[in-house]
Amino acid sequence: MNFALSRPGRFIGALTADLKTIGYRLAAALLICVILTIASDAFLTANNLLNVLRQASLLFLLASGLTLVILTAGLDLSVGANIGLSACIAASVMKLSGSALLGAACGVGVGLCIGVANGLLVALMRMPPFIATYGMLWVVHGITFWYMAGTTIYGFPAAFRALGSGYFLGVPIPVYLMFVFLTLGAFFAQRTTYGQEIYAIGANRESARLSGVPIARRLILVYTVSGAMAGLASLVFLARMNSAEGDIGEAFTLPAIAAVLIGGTSLFGGVGTVSGTLVGALILTLVLNGMNLLTLDASWQPLVTGVIVILAVFLDTLTRKRAEARK
Amino acid sequence: MNEIAMDRTSPPFSVTLARVPGVAWILGLLLIGFTFFSRDFLTGANLHNIGLQSVILLILALPQTMIIMTEGCDIAVGAVLTLASVMLAWVLVHDGSLPLALAAALAVGLVFGLGNGMLVALLKMPPFVVTLGTMGVAQGLALIVTDGQSIVVNSDALQAVYGGNLGGVPIPLLIGVAMYALSHGLLYHTRFGTYVFALGGNAEALKLAGVRANAYLIAVYVLGGLMAGLAALILTARMSSGHPTSAIGMEFDAIAAVVVGGTSFEHGKGWLLGTLLGVVAVGVLRNGLNLLTIPSSAQVACIGLLVIVALFIDGLKGRK
Amino acid sequence: MNQATVPLLELRGISKTFPGVKALDDVSFVVYPGEVHMLIGENGAGKSSLMKVLCGAYTADAGQFFSKGEPVAIHSPADARKFGIAVIFQEFSLVPYLNIAQNIFLGREFKGRIPGLIDHPRMHREARKILDLLGLDLSTRTLVHELGVAQQQMVEIAKALSQHARILVMDEPTAALSDRETERLFAMIRQLQAEGVAIIYISHRMAEVFAMGDRITVLRDGKKVGTRLPGEATPDELVRMMVGRSVDMSYARSFGRSEGEIILEVQDLHSDHGVNGVSLNVRRGEIVGLSGLVGAGRTEVARAIFGADKVTGGEIRLFGQVHYGTPDRAVRAGIALIPESRKAEGLALIRTVCDNLVLPGLAKAFPNRLYQAAKARRIARDLIDRLRISTPSPFRPVQVLSGGNQQKVVIGKWLSSESKFFIVDEPTRGIDVGAKAEIFALIDQLVQQGAGVLMISSELSEIVHVCDRAYVMRGGRIAGHLAREELSEENILKMGMQHE
Repeated sequence: MNFALSRPGRFIGALTADLKTIGYRLAAALLICVILTIASDAFLTANNLLNVLRQASLLFLLASGLTLVILTAGLDLSVGANIGLSACIAASVMKLSGSALLGAACGVGVGLCIGVANGLLVALMRMPPFIATYGMLWVVHGITFWYMAGTTIYGFPAAFRALGSGYFLGVPIPVYLMFVFLTLGAFFAQRTTYGQEIYAIGANRESARLSGVPIARRLILVYTVSGAMAGLASLVFLARMNSAEGDIGEAFTLPAIAAVLIGGTSLFGGVGTVSGTLVGALILTLVLNGMNLLTLDASWQPLVTGVIVILAVFLDTLTRKRAEARK
Repeated sequence: MNEIAMDRTSPPFSVTLARVPGVAWILGLLLIGFTFFSRDFLTGANLHNIGLQSVILLILALPQTMIIMTEGCDIAVGAVLTLASVMLAWVLVHDGSLPLALAAALAVGLVFGLGNGMLVALLKMPPFVVTLGTMGVAQGLALIVTDGQSIVVNSDALQAVYGGNLGGVPIPLLIGVAMYALSHGLLYHTRFGTYVFALGGNAEALKLAGVRANAYLIAVYVLGGLMAGLAALILTARMSSGHPTSAIGMEFDAIAAVVVGGTSFEHGKGWLLGTLLGVVAVGVLRNGLNLLTIPSSAQVACIGLLVIVALFIDGLKGRK
Repeated sequence: MNQATVPLLELRGISKTFPGVKALDDVSFVVYPGEVHMLIGENGAGKSSLMKVLCGAYTADAGQFFSKGEPVAIHSPADARKFGIAVIFQEFSLVPYLNIAQNIFLGREFKGRIPGLIDHPRMHREARKILDLLGLDLSTRTLVHELGVAQQQMVEIAKALSQHARILVMDEPTAALSDRETERLFAMIRQLQAEGVAIIYISHRMAEVFAMGDRITVLRDGKKVGTRLPGEATPDELVRMMVGRSVDMSYARSFGRSEGEIILEVQDLHSDHGVNGVSLNVRRGEIVGLSGLVGAGRTEVARAIFGADKVTGGEIRLFGQVHYGTPDRAVRAGIALIPESRKAEGLALIRTVCDNLVLPGLAKAFPNRLYQAAKARRIARDLIDRLRISTPSPFRPVQVLSGGNQQKVVIGKWLSSESKFFIVDEPTRGIDVGAKAEIFALIDQLVQQGAGVLMISSELSEIVHVCDRAYVMRGGRIAGHLAREELSEENILKMGMQHE
């Protein structure tokens, strides 16, 4: 793997480093595609495939930041609620100011602020991540509901809507975003010292601390990124749905975690990749898409996702315990 | 911390003023505050209302206290309660017999409690994520069974459960009191309860003492599931229907009540009376905010803030 | 002090192997009623494994227990309890939010009249009896977390007594006790002796080994080296038995270099973890030893200097500048810490050798924060060659390496960060003799290149052979300083041992 140290070489190098670890999962995704092609005529159509890509991209955008958090052996349960509030604020600002750009900036800004708050709770107040982000989830949720007061905001400028529903060269725009952030994410994780430190924190926090890694700062960083990515994902979501209500985003938390776990990132920290999360998002979206095509009720989706999460955690626990027994 | 140092074999009300716990202050402030801001607050009818509304939460929060004491948690209870309520309604509509319906609800709770317990105790999986998964499963099942619609129930027996009285005391309240007494007895007077403290405080010591720690850990989650099943009776009776999203989110109120009440996520430190006070605090908060016509969504945000404040105080007190 | 002819318990040929290490190797051992049997040995000698086998937490792979000539099976904590063995570990087996009575009878609660309920009054009555026996004036309703360490220990002893223990195993019981509490404990031990209870007492403190012991057994590397009577042995001899070829160290260091500038100067340091006023200094080019018995506070001093524990008083000066703060500040200032427990604190076991080696030096190697795997590989390979780290490849997780090589990684990772002051805590713990010499050569190289080293070691011979001079600690303070000429194992022991 001797790539030149030129910039393009480095980007590509970042991606291929991950490929080795996600080989099996890509194969699994392909297998699911094969199964679905056999099971349903509607699968292998351009429309459906592009749809799958579009959905997976949105899920990936959300899950990419979450990957970094889980890499530090943390958890961010507020991502779904984050999407809700960010989208609603973005929508509101867009309507009030008439500027899509301002609205978008506010949306990402809100997401970022939630992320910072989470980071402060976890890093400075030493709260266990699942409690801190769980509490945050409800606080944000509540604020969203109260702010929207049961109303719906809809009708956004076409230019903005293209972000979610538009195409460029026949490919949905969210897919381009997916590749951009895949590259950025993989680059950040594998090709910056921040990334190396984040892996170290997850692998053994105390040892990283005693090696001079500034733990609090890095934790705040990953939670902030997670929040900001949720903010970004909310824009794509808003653009596609073309409307914002108080209860959007709720359903995203479980699939986001599922995507990260399926992608091979361990809940216990220190193991995993951003590209893995992409494949995880793809796999989950394919499974849910398959369920739709086979006309299974949408109500089955939370159940299936729940089962997948349990299975993924089970495998993760087994792998980790086996690795530790070898010590 | 020191507030929890209470005598375990005599009634738990012997707490000296100097050791009044945080939750009591919070509750006191809330009561005073709402009395001041709303003239409808301190009426007999309203207080009666608070009591009735809080019973379901109490039944959920009692076993949650024990689960949190074992350094775990169960965020699936809201979904399990919903599913149990739906199943209860379904059985009533299709069969008509209340005991059978109750059995169905309890069975739902049992299955999920057993599942959660085994995943956490035997497979050593992190409780939070596991119950997040089972929450999805329960939610999904509730949606599938009901097809997204309410199951309306017309049953006199069921009505009697919610609206009826026994010696002047509303039945739900009696059930709540009974459950509190049961939990108190379990936690402070049985081996099971002693081991709940140990599971969170020093599970290793328990194993060295030759106790089958895993069995007791599973039992705690099973208890949570069963009580959710019982709470479903009251919930369905109150709404006269089973609705697939009726109790979604209640787990948050339950955990909030437990945490505000002083139980901590570490070291097996727990206080049942604190949970009761926490439940009342949450109930009062919701009721008071309702009277001030603040919408439910904002109420949730307030509860969240309450939890963060309580954890903050807990952290401050815990710092030696 | 009685040598009754019938042993209470006999261990024959006990062995216990874990993946990669033989914790106990054919250990045979006899316990007489009413004796205090001292068990001594370095860390890793097998003392705690023996304890765990005795209490049934581990099952021996080979060997048997005998009592009165008949074999006894001890395969579980219940078996051990039935036989009358009670073990008090250093980290107590107490539940913090249960009261004393509940802790004493954990797992053996009294059943009440109503089935399923516990008979609390009876439990408290019985607990009261035992506490009175021990002269403990505490309410049985006190929650254990409110008790001090000495009191918690008493509760553990009460627990053992309530199980009618005939053999009590105690692990470093006086480690956290004050002198007065220690006297209390000894009085109680004598009382138990008079009742025929045998006590297996694990200790690092020569003073109490000789004061209280009826017989002394030395373990080393999982084997029993020998049993002596206190009358017929000297501390030096015991130390030699514990440590092995202490005099014949294959590593020789040259001393007598000229004195360099002072790198580190510590004045009256206090920390929230038991450093009670420590002053010392380290110069360029020298290895300064920090000695003292287990519990004297050496690791705590190391952690306080590095910033891992909170400093509550005193001053640290690095290269003349006042220094304070968290570990990341210390690393930037050029301090390196090789922690006591390499697996828990020194390494990220699931990460590769390369990742571990490069971590502290990330900021210096990649000042623009852009990590280049190729450069990291180069740095790692360079370190692997320089230190002769034996690893199948730089990309294997560091947990597959042997102890000695892991330690080289822990030390080596600081070389890429250009540290100038190294705090080394038990550098050769759990490392075989061959690798030990290499580690010392490495440390010597460091000081030859102008660094200063503060070395903590429990192996007296190491301090004597490797250090230019040494401080001896006792009770969180510096008990004394030994210059090169004064440095001997005897002097260190004497300085570290005095109780008044």
